[in-house]
Amino acid sequence: MTGTETNSAGQQPKQKDTRNTGPGRLLIAVYAVFALSATARAGYQIATKFAEAPLAHILSAFAAVVYIVATISLAKPGRTWFKVSLAAVLTELVGVLVVGAISLFDPVAFPHDTVWSLFGRGYGFVPLLLPILGLLWLNKRRPS
Amino acid sequence: MDGYFYALLIVGLVSTIMCLVAGLMKKAPNDPTIYSVLAIEVVLLVYLVGSIVRVALGEQIAGEPWEFWGYLITALIIPLGAVYWAILERTRWSNFVLAAVGVTVFVMGARMNQIWY
Repeated sequence: MTGTETNSAGQQPKQKDTRNTGPGRLLIAVYAVFALSATARAGYQIATKFAEAPLAHILSAFAAVVYIVATISLAKPGRTWFKVSLAAVLTELVGVLVVGAISLFDPVAFPHDTVWSLFGRGYGFVPLLLPILGLLWLNKRRPS
Repeated sequence: MDGYFYALLIVGLVSTIMCLVAGLMKKAPNDPTIYSVLAIEVVLLVYLVGSIVRVALGEQIAGEPWEFWGYLITALIIPLGAVYWAILERTRWSNFVLAAVGVTVFVMGARMNQIWY
């Protein structure tokens, strides 16, 4: 569908409007893992203990949706998907910074951890690193 | 921590290191790196069968059973998905995708051990 796959090892053709090639493949793979784990975590929290901390659990679900959108949009070619990617990655960056800061200064507001709590410490700070790498990659593969 | 944990630790780390080195050497995924990831899948399949047998023999999972099975089934999907994603485009970057499998599955294995005991 994307036409970017080359079967011979080595160089892939420079296509402007895709982000699913080269380092982008690693980025998408990591996003996919986070989409999966955030969805599972949110689903588990909402199913078992939603009433204990509704805000934190809604936030968990929101984070999961952001990761899913980022994964899919990064894998798709075209200008529209680029904009969707940019919006998702920016949302993710703001989310991890705001939630990280709030969870640091007001732990009572977030009795239950989300992916973004403490800047993603529970996940080796990858949630903090991921949007930064995402923005760098989007900038590099910006549609002309 | 049981034998499955240590098996995932060793096989996962060896696979990750192999794939990382291959990626750093600017190599595309080849038989050794792909088989190293498939070895993780084999360990997970043994884990699956072993866990089914243990539960069938009456052993109790200390934590939430469906959380344990959720982790295990997800872990089973990851190596296959990564190999598929890596061989669609065989560049050095795909080896870094494969390298992520070992670490991810090892962390999930640690969590699965916590849930079980």
